[in-house]
Amino acid sequence: MHILLIEDDTEAARVLVKGLRESGYAVDHAADGREGLARALSSKFDLIVTDRMLPHVDGLAIIQQLRRARLATPVLVLSALGTVDDRIRGLKAGGDDYLTKPFAFAELLARVEALLRRRSSAVEATVLRVADLEFDLLARKVTRGAEEIELTAREQKLLEFLMRREGQVVTRTMLLEGVWDLHFDPQSNLVDVHISRLRQAIDRGAERPLIHTVRGSGYVLREEDD
Amino acid sequence: MKEARRWGLFKTSAFRMSMGYTLLVTLAVCVTLGSTYLLTQSIIQGDVDLILDAELKSLENQYVRSGIPGVTDEINLRIDSWGRIGAVYMLAGPKFERLAGNITNWPFDGGPAEPWPEFRIESIEPGQRSVHPVRAAVRKLPNGDWLLVGTDMSQDRRYARTFQVATLWGIGLSILAAAIAGFSFSFRLARRVGDVTDTCVRIMSGEEGHRLPVTGTSDEFDALAASVNRVLDRLEEQTRTLRATFDSVAHDLRAPLHRLRTRMDAVLRLPTLEPGIREPVESALREVDRLQRTLATLLQIALAESGAALASPAPVDIGELADELVELFEPVARERGLTLTGHPDHGVIVQGNRQLLAQLITNLLENALKYVPPGGRIEVAVKRLGERAHLVISDNGPGMSAEERQRAGQPFARVGHRSGIEGSGLGLSLVAAIARLHRARLTLESNDPGLRAVVSLPGSVARLPSDSPAKTAPALFAGGTEQASGRGR
Repeated sequence: MHILLIEDDTEAARVLVKGLRESGYAVDHAADGREGLARALSSKFDLIVTDRMLPHVDGLAIIQQLRRARLATPVLVLSALGTVDDRIRGLKAGGDDYLTKPFAFAELLARVEALLRRRSSAVEATVLRVADLEFDLLARKVTRGAEEIELTAREQKLLEFLMRREGQVVTRTMLLEGVWDLHFDPQSNLVDVHISRLRQAIDRGAERPLIHTVRGSGYVLREEDD
Repeated sequence: MKEARRWGLFKTSAFRMSMGYTLLVTLAVCVTLGSTYLLTQSIIQGDVDLILDAELKSLENQYVRSGIPGVTDEINLRIDSWGRIGAVYMLAGPKFERLAGNITNWPFDGGPAEPWPEFRIESIEPGQRSVHPVRAAVRKLPNGDWLLVGTDMSQDRRYARTFQVATLWGIGLSILAAAIAGFSFSFRLARRVGDVTDTCVRIMSGEEGHRLPVTGTSDEFDALAASVNRVLDRLEEQTRTLRATFDSVAHDLRAPLHRLRTRMDAVLRLPTLEPGIREPVESALREVDRLQRTLATLLQIALAESGAALASPAPVDIGELADELVELFEPVARERGLTLTGHPDHGVIVQGNRQLLAQLITNLLENALKYVPPGGRIEVAVKRLGERAHLVISDNGPGMSAEERQRAGQPFARVGHRSGIEGSGLGLSLVAAIARLHRARLTLESNDPGLRAVVSLPGSVARLPSDSPAKTAPALFAGGTEQASGRGR
């Protein structure tokens, strides 16, 4: 997987490039908007991570140029501007995800992964399966093994979000945004409480729990070998 | 709206001033015309009296010269030939029996007390009967006979009545003219002031680019409008500068924070990291995150305080939003031994930003969750009250004193005795700022016991949920990967 990082803060970029490479990605770095746009248009990248405020050509302009050139490469916008309006403008311009600085590297990694995976699994499934957990999306029925599990609509939505990202780390912020459409950080442990309730419902008494906590990042739903 | 303003005209000071002006004009016209009338009346009366007096004197002289027969002759002469028009004479004996004259009998009971007695006579001209008022003067002659000289006043009375009618018409028309002038004056004034007010309201609500109308007549209103427009230009300029400052502050503070965070992250990922170092680095990272949150909140508050407009308002079903958040926070409340219930009306639509309104409700809920001790109750209600939507979040916790409630909306005004509880002290300030952005009123009241926060939002419009864009609006904010699928293709 090949990622282009456009970021004028070379110090921050160096650490990000190093981190992404350590996570197994090939990374190119462009230090200003003009260079970034040229590279984005010339070669094939799987994902572009761009800062919003850049010298010469700004991040949103890069996205617009890309889209005009009919390139659908997913773009993750990094920005020091964090108001709701800035986010709207960022997404309206054609960005696929928006991350406000400063962010945890784990957050960036989770989102990069999500954007890359999304491309490969565009097929719409009607039944989601992870190990012996099954979610019939049409009947809105969840079963674990032979047992049917009663979930509220909201819990189902949370479970669907996790199952669609099986094996992928999902951060608290991603859950807040994706499941509950909240684009700010509540102070309470909202996500943890809901995850623990979902855990109670699907993992209680199970030999192999499916929902796992990833320290410092978030959660992952997967079948784990002991 | 227009109708309301027209009726509001009666409340304007211009209208009250022109009403006062009209009254003053009325008074002046009444005094002028009234005194003219009275003066004219007394002059006419005085003329009549002089004539009567002169004639009496000449008849008395006649008596002195030639006695009763002389007077009788004189009277007959005057009646027949060259007498005044409408003249009335009578000579009567001591017992008021008629001796001479052109009236049939003595009109009074005995000698009249007043100097200018008045009475009525019926005229006996052929073919016509009419009653005439007469003003007279009476003398008792030295021999005990009575002499009466009078004059028919009907001409004068008719004249006076005409004058009276004219005066009344004059007064009436003057009042009407003054009232019309005053009304149109105050209407025009009220309309121009109303235009100014309307524009100011628009500008206050964040519609940029509005300016007061300048008519080009260079009157005092144009001068006022021009000055106000200059102030508005300056304010807009300041808002732009402020916005630019926020952006650069946000950038200049966030960038180093970001670098700091990225480096600490890198330290945590070092394979050679000693276990004793991980914990302090993680704790420092949490501080960085808190600092970042405070910074974000402060910027949001400052932006709202600057009077900047809500950039992309959309219809939001505040009842539905409250319902969702109650459902979301209910397990959190239960975990803390609290009961959280919501009974919001759905279909209460306000113009606003869904994310900011969600944050407002969240902050109020979290505030209650933080302060209400286990076993307590938190209730959320949304009601439509006339043109406004009311969001009420109440609890039965320790509440706040009146002074604390007063201070709560100000930044960093964390309530003193609760300092043990973690929080930036910005939660309620952000609530106040978001409320202000939405032109809403935030009131903190005592719930006896506990606290009740009431957010009164304007422009609640009843609309069927099906044709409300509220449902589609959140897609704009969807940074979540799920909703974003399908975009950019």
